[in-house]
Amino acid sequence: MQEQVREWLEQDSVDIFLGYKMVQGHPLPHCFTKENIDEIDDLIVGNARYSLEKMATKIAAAHPELKIGLLTRDCNQRALNVLYVWNQLKPDNIETISVNCCPSKLKEHGDCSYLEPEKAAPLKMMIGIDNNMDVKAAEEFGQEDRYKRWMYELQKCLKCYGCRDICPVCFCKECSLEHTDLIATGSVPPEVPIFHLVRAVHMGGRCIDCGLCEDACPVDIPLRLLYRKVNGIVSDVFDYKTGTSADQSPFNMLGEEVTLELKPI
Amino acid sequence: MDFKIIPSTCSYCGTGCGVLFQVMDGRLIDTLPMKTHPVNEGKLCIKGWNLHEHVISDKRLKSPMIRKDGELQESTWDEAIQTSADKFKSIINDHGPDSVGVLLSAKITNEENYVAQKFARAVIGTNNVDHCARL
Ligand code: SF4
Ligand code: SF4
Ligand code: SF4
Ligand code: SF4
Repeated sequence: MQEQVREWLEQDSVDIFLGYKMVQGHPLPHCFTKENIDEIDDLIVGNARYSLEKMATKIAAAHPELKIGLLTRDCNQRALNVLYVWNQLKPDNIETISVNCCPSKLKEHGDCSYLEPEKAAPLKMMIGIDNNMDVKAAEEFGQEDRYKRWMYELQKCLKCYGCRDICPVCFCKECSLEHTDLIATGSVPPEVPIFHLVRAVHMGGRCIDCGLCEDACPVDIPLRLLYRKVNGIVSDVFDYKTGTSADQSPFNMLGEEVTLELKPI
Repeated sequence: MDFKIIPSTCSYCGTGCGVLFQVMDGRLIDTLPMKTHPVNEGKLCIKGWNLHEHVISDKRLKSPMIRKDGELQESTWDEAIQTSADKFKSIINDHGPDSVGVLLSAKITNEENYVAQKFARAVIGTNNVDHCARL
């Protein structure tokens, strides 16, 4: 890995490389360059994952021609695919080195930080939603019970916007979650469930199930489960697999011309 | 093109969450939670997430201001400190040291808080010391 990055930088195949380096005992994202080529000896995979592709998106917005190399776990790769589809990054300007991701029965070693999900506490199991549930299990609660459980989870929200800020595929210049006509301001928790449902709808055709939002949520709301449900629908109805399909998401309204036909109301 | 990640500590409250500053071309552009930090384990509150905003804000004061003739005017640190000292002296002379109270902050370090309470007790001469964490 280090040799490959050194070669890329020396031969100018990439201008910068985003990877990880130990700093003060913490594995932190680091930008490697030709000027500081000796630092490559410190390049590591790191056991904490950050959205390097989100950093790349910010860098590319300021320096559109820059060639960026980055270390990619499976989730980073899926996020890159979405960013290509939504024209936030140009695939020609990106080089990746894939690293080993989450362990499974097939491969025991993994470099990912999402190795062992935290076990839900008894109270959460009793009145809330266990973050480790799958969509099917979460749907088995009766309608009223399910509603109460979700509302218990959502009303914990501190409105920190961490779920949006950390998300690799949240790149909008103006975010609906801060739009006063859509969501009332000035109170915590924010308007529930609308705050979370607005975001959930936006994640249709975008969310690549990396789990960074849930990692960043200070109150442990099962966000990933919510977005999985949404993308299950996207997959069933539109046959669109977010993060792996190469074509545009069915929800992108931008294009050369309007293709929707007016219908009588 | 220059892009750096700088580890730091949130200065907004006494919790002391670990943050990473993203600096592009010498300009602070964004804040991230440090995932391996023992205090916040990759989470932040809304203040921490927006730390960079007060640094790059146009409204940020870069020099002390003194109100002269009813209007705030830019000044130097020497003048500002001298003015405060003179005002404190005259207040203490007229009304006694207990007319002054010192409110300390969770946004400064333990040592700075210590120095501030020492200043209240030893220099001003009052036990009127309190802390914003008690409000
Ligand atoms: S929450 Fe929605 S509007 Fe806000 S940044 Fe994400 S996708 Fe865009
Ligand atoms: S799991 Fe969360 S952070 Fe990851 S892409 Fe989906 S919404 Fe964004
Ligand atoms: S990260 Fe959690 S607490 Fe913060 S805004 Fe999102 S759902 Fe709410
Ligand atoms: S991020 Fe929030 S809780 Fe953490 S130190 Fe800053 S202000 Fe305090």
